[in-house]
Amino acid sequence: MRRSKRAPLRPHSPVLMPKYILTRLGQIVITFVLFVILTYVLIESQPGSFAAAFAANPKLTTAQREALARNLGLDRPPAERFVIYLRNLARGDLGLSFTFYPKPVTEVLLERAPRTLTLFLTSTILSFAVGFVAGKVLAWRRGKAIEYGATVGGVMLYTVFTPWFGLMMLWLFAYQLKLFPVGKFVTPEVWRSAPVDANTVFIQMLVTIVLVSAVIFAVYWWTRRWTARRRSLTRWGVACVAAALAICYWVASGLGPYALNIAHHLVLPVLTLVLINFAGTMLLTRNSMLETLREDYITTARAKGLSDRVIRDKHAARNAMLPVATSFVFALAFAIGGGVITETIFSWPGMGQTLLQAATTKDIPTTMGALIFIAVLALVAHLVADLLYAVLDPRIRYA
Amino acid sequence: MMHRRLAPYALAVGTATLSLLLAACNQATPAALPATVASAPVAEPAQAQATEAPTSAPAEQPAATDAPVEPTAAPAPAAQVSDKPYRVGIFSDLKTTNFWSYFGPNGSVWEQYVFNPTTTALYGLADQSFKIVPIAAEGMPERPLKKEGDFWIADIKIRPGITWSDGKPLTANDVAFTVNAAVGLKMPGSWATVYDPNFLERAEAVDDSTVRFVYKQEPGIAVHENNTLQGPILSEAFWKPVVDKVTEKVNALTAPAETASEDEKTAHNTAVSEALNELYNADSTGEPHVGAFSFNKWEKGAFAENIANTNFFQIGSTFSQFANGAYEEAKPDGTTFSAYGDPTGDKTLSFTGGPSVPATIYTVYQDQNAAVLALKNNEIDFFLNSLGLQRGLRAQLEGQDGVQIIDNPNNAFRFMGFNFRREPMNDKAFRQAVATLIDKDFVARNILQGVAKTVDTYVPKDNTFWFSDDVVRWGVKDDGTGMTRQERLEAAIKIMEDAGYKWEGDKKPAWDADNQQVVAAGRLLMPNGQPMREIELLAPSAGYDPLRSTYAIWIEQWLKEFGIPLKATLLGFNNLFDRAIIQQDMDMWILGWSLTVFPDYVRDFLHSERSGKGDNNSGGYNNAEFDQLANGIKTCLTYDDCKKVAADVQKLLSEDLPYVLLFETGITEAYRNDSIDFPYTSALGGLQFVQGLPNTVKAK
Repeated sequence: MRRSKRAPLRPHSPVLMPKYILTRLGQIVITFVLFVILTYVLIESQPGSFAAAFAANPKLTTAQREALARNLGLDRPPAERFVIYLRNLARGDLGLSFTFYPKPVTEVLLERAPRTLTLFLTSTILSFAVGFVAGKVLAWRRGKAIEYGATVGGVMLYTVFTPWFGLMMLWLFAYQLKLFPVGKFVTPEVWRSAPVDANTVFIQMLVTIVLVSAVIFAVYWWTRRWTARRRSLTRWGVACVAAALAICYWVASGLGPYALNIAHHLVLPVLTLVLINFAGTMLLTRNSMLETLREDYITTARAKGLSDRVIRDKHAARNAMLPVATSFVFALAFAIGGGVITETIFSWPGMGQTLLQAATTKDIPTTMGALIFIAVLALVAHLVADLLYAVLDPRIRYA
Repeated sequence: MMHRRLAPYALAVGTATLSLLLAACNQATPAALPATVASAPVAEPAQAQATEAPTSAPAEQPAATDAPVEPTAAPAPAAQVSDKPYRVGIFSDLKTTNFWSYFGPNGSVWEQYVFNPTTTALYGLADQSFKIVPIAAEGMPERPLKKEGDFWIADIKIRPGITWSDGKPLTANDVAFTVNAAVGLKMPGSWATVYDPNFLERAEAVDDSTVRFVYKQEPGIAVHENNTLQGPILSEAFWKPVVDKVTEKVNALTAPAETASEDEKTAHNTAVSEALNELYNADSTGEPHVGAFSFNKWEKGAFAENIANTNFFQIGSTFSQFANGAYEEAKPDGTTFSAYGDPTGDKTLSFTGGPSVPATIYTVYQDQNAAVLALKNNEIDFFLNSLGLQRGLRAQLEGQDGVQIIDNPNNAFRFMGFNFRREPMNDKAFRQAVATLIDKDFVARNILQGVAKTVDTYVPKDNTFWFSDDVVRWGVKDDGTGMTRQERLEAAIKIMEDAGYKWEGDKKPAWDADNQQVVAAGRLLMPNGQPMREIELLAPSAGYDPLRSTYAIWIEQWLKEFGIPLKATLLGFNNLFDRAIIQQDMDMWILGWSLTVFPDYVRDFLHSERSGKGDNNSGGYNNAEFDQLANGIKTCLTYDDCKKVAADVQKLLSEDLPYVLLFETGITEAYRNDSIDFPYTSALGGLQFVQGLPNTVKAK
């Protein structure tokens, strides 16, 4: 029987999603190309030039400055430089950084990516987790003092002047209480004779966290329809095994002290970022929950005599999570961009600072490289968010 | 009670943390400090790149003596007093660890701080006095240079007993190799300044201990003593394979003819750049060093470390300077070197050098506030910043236990320049009237509360050898006191009237004694009767530099009152640079320069051949007399000749006013006096100018 165009499609139709994905990928490519062109033109249009740095040394003669500028290709007209840049980009070559000449831009960015990701992914995940839980509780306790207190406190932290707040955190926890170091991501005295560099440890930390989380998440998903007792035993068991394997790995590798040193430095900036950012998710969750709690099925659930916790977490929060999940996916994508203020205050040099420095000195290859990284992740995040919606909500399908 | 769904995650995180703790307990504690040179601290004469400035050099060559003293026991190298490293904060990470790259296209002050202590030069500048003194050389450089055929020759003997950190001897071959690589490859950046291919033909090793510099034109003090002899020396054994490979590639490229197309020239330049990039990208791991320290480690984004060089040749030397200007180095083998007079009488400075610390750790802080907290928390001993400490942070540190604040004059000035390509800036009378109207002391003292310090000379007062007080000070009376507002007004009116200027409606600016203010004038009329057009003054915005923007605002007010239709436009750095330097589209502008000790910078700033777009002489100052004098600074052959030329130049510039010099800010620094000791703390440019004295600092 031939399907009518008007007939409702089965959920999870294997025909539609690939077509949708392909269409979106095509849109992503077009958007990306337009983004590259527009961004390059905007940056190039800024007054000044990277070669201005050479003018700071009056000893350099004109000929010497021109030679330095020629090294960087700045003797060519802007249009020619743009065409060369696009040609190289099509081959995957982001060019050489002016600031770190003659290091390739990719190398510059990859040096900073692990420590940026570690800090900002951790703080993003934690701030969403805290915000989501807080938002759920607030919506459930509507009208109570805790709602007002948490909302006011959260908004105050959300709107606080970040540089000041970061410095206050440093002053209180690092200087006064001496619980944490004053910024940086490693302690030089510990790392002076480290057998590996910090990036190696960062990457291994990220891998450990991702693997352990993936295993726990996979088990959680796999056991979601099991009986309560069996589910609980399995989840706890797997979590313990995963954690034990992680312990064994770090002990055997000998890099434990270095990872712990990084983790020690990580606490304060993560805490600062979580305090600043959790309120956004909290309020979003709260609003979404309040809408969901008005639905008929919630009333039905209450009528069935289900406990408050089951109604809140299993029925309401699951549906209220949709906009939060979307927001989370976007936030993860932008985590790679880091944050200039946090990186500066906590001396955690990452992508954000590199991007700012490159943009203000008109180091076009580095600026474009960083923005392209962020753009690609943001575009992919949009697609993932849309697909995630379809996965989370069976009512949503794309044609 | 924790939510059950979160419990597995909490368990995983907690266990991961516990695992790290367990692993940490199993691991050794922070590695012991690397073995260091057990030797005496050694004075660190100012860096090779540090500029110059001999002081009271006698008319002829300074009488230098390398006199062996009575054979008493040579002073034993002083034992290291501490196993604590010298902990220094810096505000930007390194960009490279390759010296060729650092001294070439990737130079910045941060690499200078870290790498200068790892190298040496034949000559350098003595501490505080900035007199040229031998470091790796023996004896003072001779003048005049010998002429052989078309070339001028200078032979320099290398001090015996100098070894690299790997134990191999430093020879003339290393010096010649470094010079010839820089000259032959036409390396850019500081290489071209120090080993100038316009002057230097080549260097040769006459024997292991004698290096010969061959010049194709006679080099003045500015070139030979001030640059070439203070150039860095790199290891031939380590770098020759890389340099030879790059040289072969570059030599294989045929330089295009003058008539070749732009594409051909560009292609050639690209090929040369790619070849040089191989040198800049070459791995410097294991490079031997000859300075007081060896570069050891760079944890990108976090810190860099130099460890003490056990073979440093100046360990155990005692350096002394005397009230009569004499200088002396008493070496560990019992011999002494002295110059600039008889080394007797009162000593103004004396110390034995180092390194007396096992290592110097340069920790990167991205924010000065965080660095100040770290200093207060005793995480660092000192931090290096060419801009010094901000006032608010200074206030935080005042009275802090264990922290010492030091103030020094800065070797820099901020100025207002005139664009000589436009009227009326090209009129000397206009410039002199403007200079008279600007009350620099008022802004510095009353408005900026002493943060700025008035500058009247192109050479700072503390650069004692080169400073000349014989300059014209506009707006200053014969007794040295500043003119009042009224006096300035009247003086400026006279200057303008004598030059033929008038005011619209004959409404000259007048002084209202009752209200103590100026009654604004009508618009100024040019000598040809035309009203003066609106003039624009470009200056940094308050966000970029509040000091210069304040000066701009007051200058605008004073000139407007006088009838000069001035408009101050405050801009961010990029915009300001683009308009004032690249496009030269301005009437007047305010910027600044950092200076070297040797005052040949006046030529770099103001010579007529430097007036192209993007070059230093943005205002297009063009004065044949000045050009001649400035050329003289580059070619003078004795210090006394150079000093006279420098004085004449300063006087001429004070009369001709291509710039109105405004102010400098001084430099404030802070260090922990409960954990380190410096041999001295007063220095032009601050301790950051001498890289924080890692060679001579003592850890407590």
